[in-house]
Amino acid sequence: MKKIGIMTIVGLIAVSAVAKIDLVTLPQRETVQMTIYNSADLTLVRESRALTLQKGLNKLQFSWANTLIDPTSLEMMAKANADKIDIFDLTYPPRVRELGLWSIKSGVSGKVPVEISYLTSGLSWRAFYMGTLSADEKTMFLKGYVRVTNNSGEDYENAQTRLIVGKVHILDQIAALARRQYPYGRPGTYPRPMMDMAPPEISREKSSMTYARAVQSSVATPKVIKKEGLSEYFLYTIAGTETIRTGWSKRLPSFEAKAVPVVNLYKYEEERYGRSVIRFLSFKNDKEHKLGETPIPGGMLKIYRAVDDEQHLSYEGQSSFKYIPVEEDVELNLGLVQNVVVEPKLMNQKTDRYLFDRNGNPNGWDEIQTWKMTVKNTRDVAVKIEIQRNVHARNWDLENKGEPGKYEKVDLDTVKYTLELAPRSEKVFEYVLTKHHGRRAD
Amino acid sequence: MKKRWIVGMMVLVMLAVVVVSAQARIKLVALPERGATIIRLDNPQATLIEEERVLTLQKGVNKVDFSWKGVSIDSDSIRLTVLSHPENVNLLNVSYPPNEAALVWEISSAAAFEEKVRISYLLRNIDRMITYKGVADKGEMKLDLKSHLILRNFSGEDFAKALVLLDYGEAFEQGIDHEETKQLLFLKADGTPIEKVWKFDAARLPWDPEKVSGNVGIPVTYKIENSEKSGLGKFALWGGKVRLYQDDGNGGTIFLGEDRATVDGKTAQIVPVGEKMEVYIGDSRDIVVTQRKMRDKKINIRRNNGNRVVLYDTDELITAKIENFKDKPAKLTMIQHIRGQWDMKKCNMDYKRKDASTLEFEIELPAKGKKELSMHYHRRNVR
Repeated sequence: MKKIGIMTIVGLIAVSAVAKIDLVTLPQRETVQMTIYNSADLTLVRESRALTLQKGLNKLQFSWANTLIDPTSLEMMAKANADKIDIFDLTYPPRVRELGLWSIKSGVSGKVPVEISYLTSGLSWRAFYMGTLSADEKTMFLKGYVRVTNNSGEDYENAQTRLIVGKVHILDQIAALARRQYPYGRPGTYPRPMMDMAPPEISREKSSMTYARAVQSSVATPKVIKKEGLSEYFLYTIAGTETIRTGWSKRLPSFEAKAVPVVNLYKYEEERYGRSVIRFLSFKNDKEHKLGETPIPGGMLKIYRAVDDEQHLSYEGQSSFKYIPVEEDVELNLGLVQNVVVEPKLMNQKTDRYLFDRNGNPNGWDEIQTWKMTVKNTRDVAVKIEIQRNVHARNWDLENKGEPGKYEKVDLDTVKYTLELAPRSEKVFEYVLTKHHGRRAD
Repeated sequence: MKKRWIVGMMVLVMLAVVVVSAQARIKLVALPERGATIIRLDNPQATLIEEERVLTLQKGVNKVDFSWKGVSIDSDSIRLTVLSHPENVNLLNVSYPPNEAALVWEISSAAAFEEKVRISYLLRNIDRMITYKGVADKGEMKLDLKSHLILRNFSGEDFAKALVLLDYGEAFEQGIDHEETKQLLFLKADGTPIEKVWKFDAARLPWDPEKVSGNVGIPVTYKIENSEKSGLGKFALWGGKVRLYQDDGNGGTIFLGEDRATVDGKTAQIVPVGEKMEVYIGDSRDIVVTQRKMRDKKINIRRNNGNRVVLYDTDELITAKIENFKDKPAKLTMIQHIRGQWDMKKCNMDYKRKDASTLEFEIELPAKGKKELSMHYHRRNVR
């Protein structure tokens, strides 16, 4: 499955005489590092190889048939004697596909370590999570995982694997660049239909040996993932190396946090959720919540709850969430519930304070509504409820009756009530909303 | 390797017979080899080829046949310049044979000469591109910038050896075959200072990121000045794809993003000296802006005789909470828009008026810090 090939050609002068090339070495890839992005189908690969160069002009052929490498991203750098080695051009020869020819002027002869880097598509990763709530739902055992998938057409053996969290801007899909007939395209029109433009075939044949190998490489102890911020990205480096053959994917644990304090938060907002109560699990990505070391990449969280002492679980729901920066509040939407109820009731409505125009038609008035809000917690745990009410008017007044009397103005026509309810309890409050219409609103 | 000659560019010199009426005795005098060839890439719209050949001319009128089968030449662009004996050799006329990619020059020569001529023409499907690759340091203060020239030859013609000319810099010798692409390093500047900018435009990005299903990213742009202090500034930089990487501090790099070079937010054909090349690399999710309208009232209402409102002012209040979750300070450029005639009642931050309806704020955000913009304004004489 190794498709990336490399060879050195020494002392070649005539460019056209490719057929007469002198194959000197076929150096093995020594180390390889993959930096995999998840916001785009993009992986930066750096590999080191030792070339055997001769003093003078060397030609190095690099081929990548049936991979998904973007040939315009290819770069080679000498890691020793860099001042004596001049990599002066890269030629994509005519009528040969998926092959590049580097011209190297070397002032030294012998082994020279080089680094070859390029962008490829076909590798991806995603984050997912499992949360287990304590029986009292006050804490959650949170485990994060990443799943790395290799569909690149190339086996990357013993590769240092790094994952990038962040939203990268790219102009062209790497896969599309990889499939171009000519690396940089061509000016003018294509003279004839392209013959072999099918995407590289991703082989799925898997012998029993590869299966055995995969078992062998499964780790005895979970690996540590090192995390650090770089520019607008977060870089996860998986300890040691990984072998992910093409077609395979691998799940790796990324972090775990025991006993993250969580709040059972319920929300009611007709404009967003209709007439249902939505359950949220809220916490903060900070030290206080046993987190906050790194941002949390977006992904799906499945939430379970411990139901007894024998580690039996009940499934509470799932929520996919977006990227959570450090110190940011998290609210995981677990879907609508029946066991916490919010019932708004219009108890009274009237109009008043009319104004009339010269013809005697009304052109200004107030509309007064009395709302009764009943909030019930039928659960045996305490809950917090946020109720947002949209006023649908530009000019309005609001007066509260009973407990709780406080609201927070969210924006020009939205207010928010926040209530805490003890297990199996009910709260009722009323408010009077006066909406000013017509000239009364001016 | 050369399986086929797509190009058949030949020069046939024919000796014209004196007696016009008699059957022409066509004699192949010479098939001259192409001499010094220049590929001029200074005009991005078209590539000019200049090639020198030596014609063996006889005394009298000579016919020189020039054909370009399989090669896309603009036939009106073909010129012939006589170099050795311009006083004694004249181009009389040019004729085009039917259904052929060819022309025939009728050249009058005062004597038999080995005449050096230059043939120039516009050749299609051979061009150049420019790409940039920059590696920023870990602190994102400077950039090692490289630029590559990409020569693409799909003209149908092989150039074994040619002098390539750009619109600046030295000409260099380079061969390039048909269907060949060559990548050559042509500019290198280490330690070029860069400026990193985050930009929130209230007309482009959602106001309440909480109500959006995905993350709202704040666009991040790098700015590179084409000036001497940047190690550049010798000539206008051509536009092209820019790929940026960053040193990861462990001997490796990460890919930061790519963009076409822009100037003032527009894709640039060139970045003139003194201008800044802007490269949008991606979106930051560690700066979060939550903007809300807190008040929008009609005031100062004026009515007509029918008591209808005909003119009013508004009383508007906009707040924007800006949170920096990064552990580094950041400078956010915030763009706000107020339509029509307006005046600011109170604003807790300084701004620049970019045009009648655009306000630009430069907001310094401390690491892990938060700021809140409050903008209280009146729009005047709204109908």
